[in-house]
Amino acid sequence: MSSSKKDSPSAIELIDWLNGEGLLELDWDFPEDGDLFAAGLDSMAVMQVVVAVEDEYGVELVPEDLSKEQLATPEALAALIRSKRQ
Amino acid sequence: MTPAVRRCDVVVIGGGSAGLAAALASARTGAATLLVERHGYLGGMGTAALVHSFCGLYLLRTEPGAELANPGIPAQIEERMIEATGIGPRRYGRVDVLPQHPVEFARIADNLCAAEKTLDLSFHSELTGVERDADGWRLSIATRGGIQTTDAATLVDASGDAVVAGFLSIETVMMQANLLQRPAYVFGVCRPRSAEDHDPLLTAGRIVEGVRSGEVPDEALGLVFRASGRPWEMFGTIDLPGPADGGYDPLDPSCLGELERVGRAVATAAVRWLARKDPSWADAYISHWPLRAGVRESRRWRGEATLTGDDLLQSRRFDDETALATWPMEFRENTRGPRLRFPHTDDPCGIPAGCLKPAGMDRLFVAGRCISTDHDAQASIRVMGTCFATGEAAGTMAAAASGGSA
Repeated sequence: MSSSKKDSPSAIELIDWLNGEGLLELDWDFPEDGDLFAAGLDSMAVMQVVVAVEDEYGVELVPEDLSKEQLATPEALAALIRSKRQ
Repeated sequence: MTPAVRRCDVVVIGGGSAGLAAALASARTGAATLLVERHGYLGGMGTAALVHSFCGLYLLRTEPGAELANPGIPAQIEERMIEATGIGPRRYGRVDVLPQHPVEFARIADNLCAAEKTLDLSFHSELTGVERDADGWRLSIATRGGIQTTDAATLVDASGDAVVAGFLSIETVMMQANLLQRPAYVFGVCRPRSAEDHDPLLTAGRIVEGVRSGEVPDEALGLVFRASGRPWEMFGTIDLPGPADGGYDPLDPSCLGELERVGRAVATAAVRWLARKDPSWADAYISHWPLRAGVRESRRWRGEATLTGDDLLQSRRFDDETALATWPMEFRENTRGPRLRFPHTDDPCGIPAGCLKPAGMDRLFVAGRCISTDHDAQASIRVMGTCFATGEAAGTMAAAASGGSA
């Protein structure tokens, strides 16, 4: 794995990153277990997230990773990224 | 022998959602009305560009249940569409959207027009010139049979691109290319599976996989599929960035044509990839192309009044308002998906009559996406539900101003 890639993010870091990249517009107090789909994550945004996660964290998410459960919350997405880096 | 000049009370340029409503409203007052449309059916973006949702029909609401924002023609079209598709409004957060089918929309438009005895339709016709005279306007309309001359007491520009202003060499407004809303390219897909047997997230992942492999162009990263409501039929939608040099110009035919060729290439590569890689997409194919790309924003008029994004945010109301805008400002200046800006409260914003009246002109009205607004407000009022309402208002005002002389 490329050393230039960032460490696995915490759920909080992930919220900041999703906002900063303009991938989603989450409130500053968006909870770690908040519903990302209700916050605008749709199949189009998922494609952008997958590409951005690869760039930022060096993790290649494959179609089978993209279940509703694994993307549902910042916590779940952070856990998915973590699991793919091991 | 001089060819006969046709005389009408009201001529409406463009038979999209705004022009359809304008022509119906004008004819319903008894005014002799002519609707000029370049294609062989009405509906504009909702038929020719396959845009398959009516947005802006309903009020913003936190409570469940959709409530129409504008009575009259928007409500009539809504009722007929629900009857045709059997599908009612769908709720997404605080907005309600009515899924619509382009095939049904063209037929509904035919039927609504056929019921109006004082309405004539001129399909396969393009406005090619406008001159002002003492009694109103003299129009040149190009057809395959030649140029026809038509006189109109009043004129409605529902062209979406302010073409009347272009012919009159009047100063208009258009954002610089990089700030214009990106156009959509929508195509029909036959996927011989039930709509329930589609996992949009899995499809999204497959498309990324195809882009990584190099077999699917990068533009496909914005591709989404929605069920049309008919068995086995879906619509694919891609927002396209336009030329790589940033010079997107929705008034330039070579630019639009190139955009449409890119749309077809991206769609073809993506659907072939899906059909090969995903069992739930096996035997899927592209069933039809749109007649044209879905332009969201282009040139617009300067009116007696100009609606602004701040008016929308504040849900401002006006004494002379003609219609209500309810759709959140939906920005798509890039192809990474919509960015929505909602008003501070769920209340609608009024659209003043002055936005439908070009500054310093009489006997001329505007409807649809090219009414007088700023870029931010246009991101709300461009949607078809609101275009029906501004169209109805412009048609009614145009008929009243014509004096019924024809």
